[in-house]
Amino acid sequence: MRLVAENVSRAFGPRRIFGPLSFATEPGRVLGVAGPNGSGKTTLVKVLAGLLRPSEGSVRLEGPAGARLSVHEAAGAIGWCAPDLSLYGELTPAENLEFFARVAGRPRARDEVDGRLASVGLDPRRLRSIRTRFLSTGQRQRLKLAYSVLSDPAVLLLDEPGSNLDEAGHRAVAAIVAGQRERGSVVLATNDPAELALADERVTL
Amino acid sequence: MILRAAAAVFVKDLRTEWRTRVAINALLLFAFSVLVLVGYAVGPTRLTLEDRPVVNSVLLWIVLFFSAMTGLSRAFVNEEETGTAAALRLSAPPAAVFLGKLLGNLALLGVVMAVVVPLFLALMSFGIAAPGLFLAVLALGGVGIAAASTFIAAIVAKTAAKGALFAVLATPLLLPPLVAAVTGTQIAATQPDLVAGLDAVRLLFAYDGLMVTASFFLFDAVWRE
Repeated sequence: MRLVAENVSRAFGPRRIFGPLSFATEPGRVLGVAGPNGSGKTTLVKVLAGLLRPSEGSVRLEGPAGARLSVHEAAGAIGWCAPDLSLYGELTPAENLEFFARVAGRPRARDEVDGRLASVGLDPRRLRSIRTRFLSTGQRQRLKLAYSVLSDPAVLLLDEPGSNLDEAGHRAVAAIVAGQRERGSVVLATNDPAELALADERVTL
Repeated sequence: MILRAAAAVFVKDLRTEWRTRVAINALLLFAFSVLVLVGYAVGPTRLTLEDRPVVNSVLLWIVLFFSAMTGLSRAFVNEEETGTAAALRLSAPPAAVFLGKLLGNLALLGVVMAVVVPLFLALMSFGIAAPGLFLAVLALGGVGIAAASTFIAAIVAKTAAKGALFAVLATPLLLPPLVAAVTGTQIAATQPDLVAGLDAVRLLFAYDGLMVTASFFLFDAVWRE
């Protein structure tokens, strides 16, 4: 499945944040989005996720047979991890993942959820009774990464995925990007040169 | 799938509420304060027998209405304030979110009613001649308040002046069912005949049907940006 952006731009009032931009993600490929602070990377990712409407242009998903879907019609096809993302502080990490899997119509067994937590370096046994709001910032970032690939999305949108992560956390990001290449595409918005090096092509804002 | 997702939203909200008890404490504290104030200022003995059904019916629904205003707007405000709304938008179908939140508000209002109504009846010596009609009016009135509050909460959640806007939007929308609920309660207090209150029950039933259906279909536009 491809994520296609055509002449997309976004403005808040009279201030244009980015665009117009046109690009498409291809299965197995990583598209890097680079640009200085305030250039609109986070806004672009939100527009691609369908969380913000573009001021102009359109974003759509295209299936293998040319089927076109708006991003709203393709629930679960897009994974998202960003600094703005928050998970439920009063639920434990496993409860958070179980909840989001259930509402997306893809319930996960506890063992599978534990496996997802372990894949981002979180110890499911140690965190079984700890609410998310008591996790460290780095642990919460790892949980967000686990959430982003929970529905095995066709397109994974990562906005500053390595923020607040230690060395092992950065390796987990690289592993997630590598895993996503096998099932779809990645849009990676970051200022970190090491993360940008994972990209096959770049859009600079 | 929608019903399963709605149940998941409902269970998540219940679990979160159980662990924080923010909304239920606010609702019950408000309801209890007003109840004590009404009992102290008006009480059962300061009203003539003739006035009791009218005044008590109005007072009961005023307590329930303002309690709802206090707590039910939290349904979506919490999601926006804590930043979890984006993840919910991305993962859950809008219809499931609305139904789950509506169920949560119904449960919250149900708990408040279960505490406030018996206390009010005892405190004000408010006798009910037709308990069946009274329960029907309470249930249908509660559904109307919860449905309208849930939908309005979604509208105001992203705005700056949430509380003020919630009251401004909710008041005109909730006046028709409140008038019917007050009338129905008054009839239930004075006439043992169920049929006498059928008009109020019909009006509440129609309002609930209209409000739930309209909210269900309009919610998608409100929930997305």
